[in-house]
Order: sequence, then C-alpha cells, then structure tokens
Amino acid sequence: MEELLILATSETQGFVSIDVWTMIFTLGNLLILFLVLKKFFFEKIRKVMLDRENEVQAMYDDASKSQEEGLRLKEEYEVKLSEANAESEDIVRNAVRKAQLKEEEIIKDAHAQASAIMKHAETQIELEKKNAVNEIKNDISGMAVDIAAKVIERDINAEDHSALIDEFIDNMGDES
Amino acid sequence: MNVQVTGPKIYFTFDIFGLEIPFTETMRNMLIVSAFILIVCLWLASGLKKVPKGKQVFAEWLVKYFYNMVEDTMGRHNLHFTPYIGTLFMFSIVGSLSSMVTLKPYTSNLSVTLTFALMTTVMVWFRSIKTNGVGGWLKSFVDPVPVILPLNIISEVANPVSMAFRHFGNIAAGTIITSLIYGALASLSNMVLGWIPNDFIANIPIFQLGLPAVLSLYFDLFSSYLQAFIICTLTMVYVGGAGPEGD
Repeated sequence: MEELLILATSETQGFVSIDVWTMIFTLGNLLILFLVLKKFFFEKIRKVMLDRENEVQAMYDDASKSQEEGLRLKEEYEVKLSEANAESEDIVRNAVRKAQLKEEEIIKDAHAQASAIMKHAETQIELEKKNAVNEIKNDISGMAVDIAAKVIERDINAEDHSALIDEFIDNMGDES
Repeated sequence: MNVQVTGPKIYFTFDIFGLEIPFTETMRNMLIVSAFILIVCLWLASGLKKVPKGKQVFAEWLVKYFYNMVEDTMGRHNLHFTPYIGTLFMFSIVGSLSSMVTLKPYTSNLSVTLTFALMTTVMVWFRSIKTNGVGGWLKSFVDPVPVILPLNIISEVANPVSMAFRHFGNIAAGTIITSLIYGALASLSNMVLGWIPNDFIANIPIFQLGLPAVLSLYFDLFSSYLQAFIICTLTMVYVGGAGPEGD
C-alpha cells in the first residue's frame, strides 16, 4: 500500500508547490526575526565584543606608555644620581682641601706663636739673669761693705765708696 | 509498507475579504521554530558582561562565527550584512533540524526556500542599482555584447531557482529517504519476526533501532548544516559581488 501524495488535496498542499501565502508568511517571519535578532542579538553582542577589544587595546597602549615613561624616568634618575655622586665627591674633595689648608695655617701659626713665646722667654730670662746679676752684685757689694766695715771696724759710707766697690765687682765678674 | 509523502497539511483557512488564506503545517512549524530561535537568542544575549562567562562564551563564539564568515566571503566593508546572513543561517538550519523533534521541516517547502532565494535576488538587484544606478544595472544585462541578453536574463532567473530547489530538494529528499528507510526497516523487521505467533513481538521493529540514527546524522545534521551554509554562502557571494569592491 503505497501512498505518494505529490499533488495537493483538500487537506494538504502539494509537495512541490508554490504557495503565495506561505511565501508572504515566510518573508514576514524572516524579516521580523532578522530585525529583532539584529538589534538584540548580533549588534548587542558585537558591541560588547568590540568594546572589550577596544578596552584591551587601550589597556595595552596604556601599559606600554607607562613602561616607556618608567624607562625614561629611570634613565633620568640614573643621570641625576651619577651627577649627585660627582657633586658629593667634589664637595668632599673641596672640604678635605680646605681642611688641609686650614691645618697647615694652624700649624704655621702655632709655630710662629711658639717661636715668639720662646723669644719672649729668652729675653725674659736674659733680663732676669741681668737682674739677678745686678742683685748679686748689690748683695755682694753690700756684703763687701759689711765685711770691710767689720774688718776695718768702721762704717764705710756706702755712697762714697760704691764706685770703688763697683770697680772691684766688675773686675771680679770679668775674671769669673 | 506505508510511506506517505505529502505536502504540508492545511489546518484551517482564514477568509478575509474573500481571500482564502490557509494556515498550514509549514506556518505553524515556522512559528514554533522562530519562537525557539528568538527565545534562545534573547536568552543568550541577556546579562552580557565585559568578561564572558558561561552562555556568553557560546553567544560570542556564534556571533563571531557569523562575522568571520561574512568577512571572509564578502570583505570587511560588508560586515553590516552579518545580521541578515546570521538570521538566515539560523532560520534555515534550525528549521531543517526541526525534523529531529518530529516537526515537518519548513525548509522542505519550496515556497519557503524560494522566498529565501528571492530575498537574495532582491538584495542583489537593490545593491546593484545602488552601486551602478538603474542605467548601470540595466546595462549590465547587455554586457559585454547585446547578444548575451537572453543568457543574462536566464542566469538571473536560474540563480534563485537553483538556490530554492537545491535547499528544498536536499531537505525534502532527506525526509523522504528517512521515511522510506523507516518503512523498509519496518518491513524487514516484520519479515524476520513475522513468524512469531505473538502479535506484540512480531511487530517489534528491531531494525529501526540504530541504523536510522546513523543515516539521520547525514540527512538531518550534516545536510541541514550544509544547506544552511550553502544558501548563506551563495547569498553572500551574490550580494557581495553586486556591491562595490572593498578596500
């Protein structure tokens, strides 16, 4: 019992037939589906994807930009650092040089002062010596007068005979 | 053996202003499939996040697949055709695959595939006129020599007709062959088990198990995909060829 209904019947359309209403229905269906999907599926999802793509691109751009900036800053700081090093070395060298100069000056000063003090001391000593000699001379002359007085038992007028005594002492001093 | 090959059933007929508008199986199935496509697509496109996860990965893959297909065939300057191509593709493939859930595929109706093909033709004409002007479009029929005019007209008609019949023929043949095989396998089962006096056992269609699934892989899955792909590719090629060259 084979049944091949190629032609249309009252209950079915033909198997190979063109029905205008079906075509219109299909067209409307397809267009509505197209319009809805275009707006709420394809373009919606496409937009999300493009947005993300752009964002990732922007992030990469940003990253490479900041990397460049970082490298530039690093170089800059390295240059600055080496400059600072050189400067500090300069400062230290200058300070050392100045200190050395000052040291030399101080030593020179000290030497000068010391020699001045020595000179002063020497003259002082000389003076003291002279004074001491004079004192001794006076003492001795006194003593001589005393002795002489005792010896001759009479008081010799010191003023009258001082010239005589001085001469005596001078001679004594020259001989000693 | 009982194999029925019929056109779409007419459920009822509208009578508007004396026009008899039939509501057929094709229309009903088309509504069901369209609603299915709409719901799935709107669901896929809902709650989109910047970082795709779960269904959004699939949705983006799908959209990217269509955009890549259009870009490869039509070029970057024609990407705005993607929504139509994508809709046509989904409409065609889901319609063909609806046979797997026992709906009569509406793509096995010539009126439907002819509508697809005529849409393409109208788009081609529209694009051609937009690019070259009406004069340029008419002139292209007598290019390079006027003698070729009949051939050009035939090819202009042959394109949509061949597109429509190719799609219709493949899907319709698939359903016919599938039902023929089912019928044949039922007969075979009956021959093998028919001698058993028990009616229930004698009517178990053992050979319908397994083999139709393998064939269905070709006639339903592969053929549906292939026909959807072909009609989209042809549409892209014709429409793309009618427009200006890309940069």
